[in-house]
Amino acid sequence: MGLKWYTARRVAWAGVAAFVILTVTFVLLDYAPDPELARIQFRAAATGADAETAAEAYAERRGLTGPLWERYLEYLGNLATGDWGWSDTRSQPVLAAILTALPYSLMYTVPAVALSTVLGIAIGLYSAFNQYTTTDYAATFVAFFGVSIPNFWFGIVLLLLFAVQLGWVPVLFDAELARTRPLSLANARQLVLPVFVLGTSAIASTMRYARAEALEYVRAAFVKAARAKGASEWRILTRHVLRPTLVPLSTILVGDLLGIILSASYLVEVVFGIPGLGRLSLEAIRRQDTALVLGTTLVPVLVAVLGNLLQDLAYALLDPRIDYGDR
Amino acid sequence: MIGAEDSPGTGTDDSESADGGEPPSERFEDVDWASIDADGGGRSPLRLAALVAAGSYGLAVASDRLVAGGDPTIDVAFGGVAFVWDATAVDWLFVATLSVLAFALVPLARNRRLVAYYWRRFRRHRPAVLSLAYLLVIFLLGTVGTLFLDPPALDVAAAYQPPVFLSVDASIPTECVGPVVEGRCQGTWRYPLGTTADGKGLLALAIFGMRVSMQVGLIATLISITIATAVGATAAYAGGWIDEALMRYVDIQQTFPTFFLFLFLAYLYGGSLFVLIVIFGVTGWGGIARIVRSEALQRSEETYVAAARSAGASGPFVVWRHVVPNVSNSIVTAATLNIPVLILSEAALSFIGLGNVTLPSWGQTIAAGRGDLATAWWVSTVPGLFLFATILAFNFLGNALRDALDPRQEVGR
Repeated sequence: MGLKWYTARRVAWAGVAAFVILTVTFVLLDYAPDPELARIQFRAAATGADAETAAEAYAERRGLTGPLWERYLEYLGNLATGDWGWSDTRSQPVLAAILTALPYSLMYTVPAVALSTVLGIAIGLYSAFNQYTTTDYAATFVAFFGVSIPNFWFGIVLLLLFAVQLGWVPVLFDAELARTRPLSLANARQLVLPVFVLGTSAIASTMRYARAEALEYVRAAFVKAARAKGASEWRILTRHVLRPTLVPLSTILVGDLLGIILSASYLVEVVFGIPGLGRLSLEAIRRQDTALVLGTTLVPVLVAVLGNLLQDLAYALLDPRIDYGDR
Repeated sequence: MIGAEDSPGTGTDDSESADGGEPPSERFEDVDWASIDADGGGRSPLRLAALVAAGSYGLAVASDRLVAGGDPTIDVAFGGVAFVWDATAVDWLFVATLSVLAFALVPLARNRRLVAYYWRRFRRHRPAVLSLAYLLVIFLLGTVGTLFLDPPALDVAAAYQPPVFLSVDASIPTECVGPVVEGRCQGTWRYPLGTTADGKGLLALAIFGMRVSMQVGLIATLISITIATAVGATAAYAGGWIDEALMRYVDIQQTFPTFFLFLFLAYLYGGSLFVLIVIFGVTGWGGIARIVRSEALQRSEETYVAAARSAGASGPFVVWRHVVPNVSNSIVTAATLNIPVLILSEAALSFIGLGNVTLPSWGQTIAAGRGDLATAWWVSTVPGLFLFATILAFNFLGNALRDALDPRQEVGR
């Protein structure tokens, strides 16, 4: 099977996966109790009106009438055309709310991902070259620490230490400052802790994968040959070990890191009060704004579908040994 | 009660299949086939014990649901100490989980030599041995300890007490329980870890939080590994379109980021502990199923499977008797590494307020202390330390187990 056929199949599969996920979400939404409906019925009953009529009027307004498949098609069509519903609590389209929140999320996730990737690979390679030394054990411990520490709690502890006790960084995130002067020093100062917290959880897995992958090549015959020919350690590291290591690593980074980043950033935003996607979603959950909850959940899901697709394609492109028939 | 009666039954088969034991060294013609055939009836003492356990469990649940109703399940007093326990649905699930675990340990207890071998391998990881000790303490405090302790109670007069040996400005607590020295309120042994804004003792809250975490981690993981083993082993053994369909489904389930799946479902169906456990258990098994499948694929190629099949064993029998016991090492490792993920997820969900607010979960307490960071730092910090230590311990334990039980798997991946 060729690369083209493989790519086509993976793209088609990503489409199917997205479609199935959207369908399942629709079914879940359809069968879940609707808090808004319950509220309206309660209000109608309390004021002496007929709860049934109120419920029907609500269904009419929301487009909840008609047979199931018709509503299903409409739901899919709306999602595809960018009409993600109307957020009642924010009085704006869901997509607009998401687009306003997105820059705040990117503001700290992008530096965190970049830092943790570079540092994670560097530390992982160093560990692999110095296996079973004290530094290697220290690095392994840091990895365990990063995987195990609840990032929302870590954020609270850091806030307590550096904002409340030492006063080095502001306790509250200033959204106005972040919006008007995103590149200022003051903004960088308030983003240090979120980047650090997100980075620790992301660096751990990068580090462990990088170490495991690099270990396969550290003792490989071609590395020995390079060393015998007098190549410097730096050259061996960058040319002979880093390059083959990057191939599997690049794919792992896309797929696995994505899940960590998406969920960690949600909690980080809640702790630090950053008005990004996570906070938006939390507000929607607290105020039972189902359309917005759905929208903010679908963003990470679609990102994940895309990430998985990119992971498969990157693997096929970078590693010519891959067997296309395999899963 | 939802299918809880089935669980001990699963345990029976589980332990039955794993207790292969040592075959006596005798020649083929010495084998007493008549006795083996009689044995095949499946009335081993173990199976009988499991049946009795399942039966009495079913009766207990039924009596709690039908007879006791809203009254406490157990209400006895001996020697002046009253023992009252009103079992909830989650408690019953937990009891079932623990009995299944107990039955799963029987084959291990029978095979001392193997246990000693694994223990020697496991012992080399000193952090893991420490972790095991810590987790046993947490487990016992959370399960047995909470039965004899009073749940933390509201006591506004005792709000914001600092932990023992520490002090805080006397203006912060409403009333200082301990002595006030130079305008600073000292912590007392009555509240060794301090109190919250409601005057609840943090030590008691932490201990009750242990129960919540253990319930979430153990019950949901048991549900997960049951489904994952069934799906993974079936997919590997059956192959063909069954394999394709099952693993494609796992693909899709895995694509949905776990945290958001939990979040979305908890939002839609409410975040009571029971619902959370069911959500975690029923949707979080994809990764384990993949591990089981890939291991089972290798086992299915082994000669003993071919031998069993040529002797006329049916598909389900081969899977249950030969494939599953031989991938159990990977299952144990994967299960151990699954527990901390679930504990963390539960803590995160209750931290953002999706859990049951009346439940003394660690995440709940951390969230409650967030507003008082400047004045009462201990409220958020103490439960977080327990949470962190527990997750770290499970991760150490899982890695050491992988090393000890699973020499095939590469460490660090």
